[in-house]
Amino acid sequence: MTTQTLDLMVGAPSDKPTAGDQTVSNYTINFGPQHPAAHGVLRLIMELDGEIVERVDPHIGLLHRGTEKLIEYRTYAQNIPYFDRLDYCSPMCMEHSFVLAIEKLMGLEVPLRAQYIRVLMAELTRISNHMLNLGSHIMDVGAMTPNLWLFEVREDTLQLYEAVSGARMHANYFRVGGVRQDIPEKVLADMAAFLDKRMPLFEDAISLVADNRIFKQRNVDIGTVSKEDALAWGFSGPMIRAAGIPWDLRKSQPYEVYDRMEFDIPVGTKGDCYDRFMVRVEEVRQSARIMRQCLRDMPAGPVGSLDRKVFPPKRGEMKQSMEALIHHFKLFTEGYHVPAGEVYVATESPKGEFGVYLVADGTNKPYRCKIRPTAFSHLQAMDFMMKGHMLADTTAVLSAIDVVFGECDR
Amino acid sequence: MNVPYPVIKPRKGFADTFKAAIGKAHVATKDAVDELTFTVTREGLIEACRTARDEFGYQQLMEIAGADYPERPERFEVNYHLLSVTHNHRIRIKVCTDEDTPVPSVTSLWPVAGWLERETFDMYGVTFAGNPDLRRILTDYGFEGYPLRKDFPQTGFVELRYSEAEKRVVYEPVQLPQDFRNFDFLMPWEGPEYRLPGDEKAVPEAPGAPSPAPAPSSQPKVEAKAPPPTPKTTETPAQTGAGAKANKEAAKKSKAAPKAKAPAKPRKKKGDA
Repeated sequence: MTTQTLDLMVGAPSDKPTAGDQTVSNYTINFGPQHPAAHGVLRLIMELDGEIVERVDPHIGLLHRGTEKLIEYRTYAQNIPYFDRLDYCSPMCMEHSFVLAIEKLMGLEVPLRAQYIRVLMAELTRISNHMLNLGSHIMDVGAMTPNLWLFEVREDTLQLYEAVSGARMHANYFRVGGVRQDIPEKVLADMAAFLDKRMPLFEDAISLVADNRIFKQRNVDIGTVSKEDALAWGFSGPMIRAAGIPWDLRKSQPYEVYDRMEFDIPVGTKGDCYDRFMVRVEEVRQSARIMRQCLRDMPAGPVGSLDRKVFPPKRGEMKQSMEALIHHFKLFTEGYHVPAGEVYVATESPKGEFGVYLVADGTNKPYRCKIRPTAFSHLQAMDFMMKGHMLADTTAVLSAIDVVFGECDR
Repeated sequence: MNVPYPVIKPRKGFADTFKAAIGKAHVATKDAVDELTFTVTREGLIEACRTARDEFGYQQLMEIAGADYPERPERFEVNYHLLSVTHNHRIRIKVCTDEDTPVPSVTSLWPVAGWLERETFDMYGVTFAGNPDLRRILTDYGFEGYPLRKDFPQTGFVELRYSEAEKRVVYEPVQLPQDFRNFDFLMPWEGPEYRLPGDEKAVPEAPGAPSPAPAPSSQPKVEAKAPPPTPKTTETPAQTGAGAKANKEAAKKSKAAPKAKAPAKPRKKKGDA
């Protein structure tokens, strides 16, 4: 903590009535970059008047890895793993925007089963992400037990991740034209069992806090954002829905098979931290609903495009057919060429609108790939959301933003 | 059609009315892959954005994306991605600029533009006139250069490590044991624009020249080595170098004669013990 002008005013005449004979002017404190409630590496320079926050200046970029630069030097397929490492709490949703952007430039069709699998995994990712965020939000405002319970649910989602993609976090599962491999019947059954057995644990954990007096005191009317502000500050996802705007890209600009799914969009009424929390809680239930529909309706069939210039052939086929071998070799050395053009594709990631602005020049590498992170806009609004609140409310506001710095800093 | 990507319904007649509404600021309109792009002049940017927001209902500025095209006279593009939550539509507004000319800031229209412009400034060095807080945002404190420009190397210029000797983080010039490999996958017959070492020797053949080309006649012939004037022979015993002197040398004991090793014990067979 740095105190700037603590005792400068001692003895000076003041027009304000003071308790003693000394006036304490504003002082500045440093929050982070290493702080358990900073959700990663965030440095906040806060100007305080007593315990009231006057101004917040977030310093970000401490996790900047130059992903956008790296992407320009690698082929499209080599770039998919970089997206896992953006928002490492919801990796597959990050891949989703990227593969959709490439598919849009190519005008590629994707088999129905692959689309169902993508939706299924995106919703599993949403549950996984919200388990982490809801749990840490609860812990940041002082409760311990629900976080431990929610982490049990999250552990199960990660195990399903591993069963499907082979990796617990950095899945690298989505491909242009489909997904890496099919999901076995047994794993689909496990997913259904997870939904049946684990959702009650989630409900139990939430029942501990949702109507809890202390939890409400810490969250209700904290960081209120009006509809107009939410639009002007570029909010998206649960943040804009909590402000009362029913805007969800899965409904309004449906991609994959979301237009066949039946689900509701939860909307907040006041736009405070409690609303954001409860919107996410309801989203988990809706995600479970979508997953059940996917499991019920998923057709059989290939999980990748049959266009051999884009999606590699099966390994068995490759061992038998000369043509398949050539396609395999070309796809894993040179990769596919994407027609020149520019495209902006956004999907509803668990944290909000995650967009990819992709400029292709007709070669096998992107010319420019701009990633639109969700947390960037939300964190910028931190200053006006915190104005006039107590120092201790910082953690509540920060958790309700749901910020992950892999994505914010890129 | 099983298209996976989000399909956004086009707004009928919007492109023409918007073009008419922004008037002189309009430079070009592009409608490609279902996305509308309006290129506008720098001076007309704020007015075009205000028109889009207030008259056409594009309430949200979702993203500002820079891009670098070094071969153009105005090398930088700044792309504003607008979203209308009432009309459910997206458009892109584009301006071009160079290193020195500032782009007017849209922070007066959307406060979210503050950081988005800061990022574009940080990555490309594009300045925004009117942004109240145009600091670097993503790069390190004290960073120099604009990393997303095409002429900035992938590795950057400095690397840092914790120095145990100085007890602090030190910055050093980047040293790579091996260069980054960058393969060129352009088809050779589509004309790569580089010359490999040795290409200068290749002279383009005349049409109808014999193939393979005959050995060039102009080069000097390589002469065989001439024999030395007095050939070395061994005619007499004296010329061999053998004799008493050589015998004496041979009888000398060498200084460090290696000891003979004791023969290795035969290995025990399994089960003998």
